[in-house]
Amino acid sequence: MKIRSVRAWLVVVCLTAGAGCARWRPPLVRPHQRVHLADRIMRVDSDRLGRAADQHVLTTREGAFGGNGTAGGGCGCN
Amino acid sequence: VQLRIPAVAALTLLAAAGQGRADVEAASHLTVFTEPSAQGRGIQVIHPQTEVAATHGPVGLQAGYELDIVSGATTRVYRPGDVPDAVSGATFSDVRHAARAGASFETTTVALTAGYSYGWENDYRSHTLSVSARGDFLERNFTLGLAYTRNFDRVCDRANDLAQSLLDLQPLGTSEGCFQASGTELTARRLSIDTFEPSLSWTATPLLMLSVGSTLQLLDGFQSNPYRAVRLGPEGREPQERLPQHRQRFALFGRVHQAVPPLRAAARLSARLYRDTWDVAAASADAEWLQYFGSSLLAGVRGRYHRQSGAIFFRTAEDYRVRGPAGQYWTGDRELAPLTNYLVGARVAFVKRPPPESRSWLGELEIHARADFLFYRTEPGAPNSDRTRAQVIAAGASLRF
Repeated sequence: MKIRSVRAWLVVVCLTAGAGCARWRPPLVRPHQRVHLADRIMRVDSDRLGRAADQHVLTTREGAFGGNGTAGGGCGCN
Repeated sequence: VQLRIPAVAALTLLAAAGQGRADVEAASHLTVFTEPSAQGRGIQVIHPQTEVAATHGPVGLQAGYELDIVSGATTRVYRPGDVPDAVSGATFSDVRHAARAGASFETTTVALTAGYSYGWENDYRSHTLSVSARGDFLERNFTLGLAYTRNFDRVCDRANDLAQSLLDLQPLGTSEGCFQASGTELTARRLSIDTFEPSLSWTATPLLMLSVGSTLQLLDGFQSNPYRAVRLGPEGREPQERLPQHRQRFALFGRVHQAVPPLRAAARLSARLYRDTWDVAAASADAEWLQYFGSSLLAGVRGRYHRQSGAIFFRTAEDYRVRGPAGQYWTGDRELAPLTNYLVGARVAFVKRPPPESRSWLGELEIHARADFLFYRTEPGAPNSDRTRAQVIAAGASLRF
């Protein structure tokens, strides 16, 4: 059960990484087109303390954990 | 001493920022969580946080400090028809402190961060090391991220040296004497936690951002509530809660952020699937709408749904009494029971920025507040079934200069 679960997770990781490394080239969004993406209401990393407190509350009230993503959101707005 | 830690860190960061042109951000946030009970006092948690961050060129430093001031009552023995006892001991009249510091290095396409935090309370100690990396590619339209966190935790517990069997294990009565060498009846149990979080973000269009990712968490060590006992079998034995030593947790998530420029708004949707080796399976979905009103006012509404199955060894209190435990594990933890949660909430923020042409020292000021209401749906006889709702009231401010 444990080994099978770890394997399944590794497959997901490889697919996640592979998706970015594949040769498929999507239409690209240029820097001057990112004015809306740069706004705080679109950014994943806005209100860090509020999000941390929110996760703190939910993690201790629910049996599930994770799925919140890593730092940074890939806006590339600068 | 505790208050000096963030003060010294803040001064160090400000001094570092003062060496040249640097961006400094200071933020504070206060959350009050209240979970009333139909039969007792319920639980209240006051959670202040503060954080200072300075960025100078590619290098950033961060420091933060937070508290959990917990008070209330809970059921010490999970048994049929039980009501909460007023608790004057460790569990619900306690203060948890956590201080953290970190550094980051960021170029136009790569960011590396590392951090350390230390958390302490009467019956718990936690050292946490974290590192993360992310890289942008395809003209910064994609971001691949990977974070790793390692916890080295210690939990105070009753030594139970004289226990002949698992049913003889007695719960911890109080946290007095925890982590002191002289406490012969007490011991410190270890818990290590490894967490891996890869993610991929895609700037799909000028108005749409998508993210997918996963979490793998491996826990090894003492994971029970040391104060809790469970009544087992018709003879009425009440041993300490007992959970497996190992747990593997897996989560997959997807997130969509869609800008709606005509309304100066954004819709944010996310979903998560979860499974672990204790057989808890869960699905969660979040939806949020944020919109500007005027030049400085931001308001939003939010909804969340969460549903989970129970752990394989979870039983209702009546089942534990009639049928006994499921194997060698037993629990009175609501988070390991079948559960459905609903959350609705609203937030408002005031954001002030000087005009771009001004030479003001102020980069941005934000003052915000939010209120969330959480509703629990549990099976009859499940743990804490007297607590069916909670509210979270929060307010904060951040200053960037």
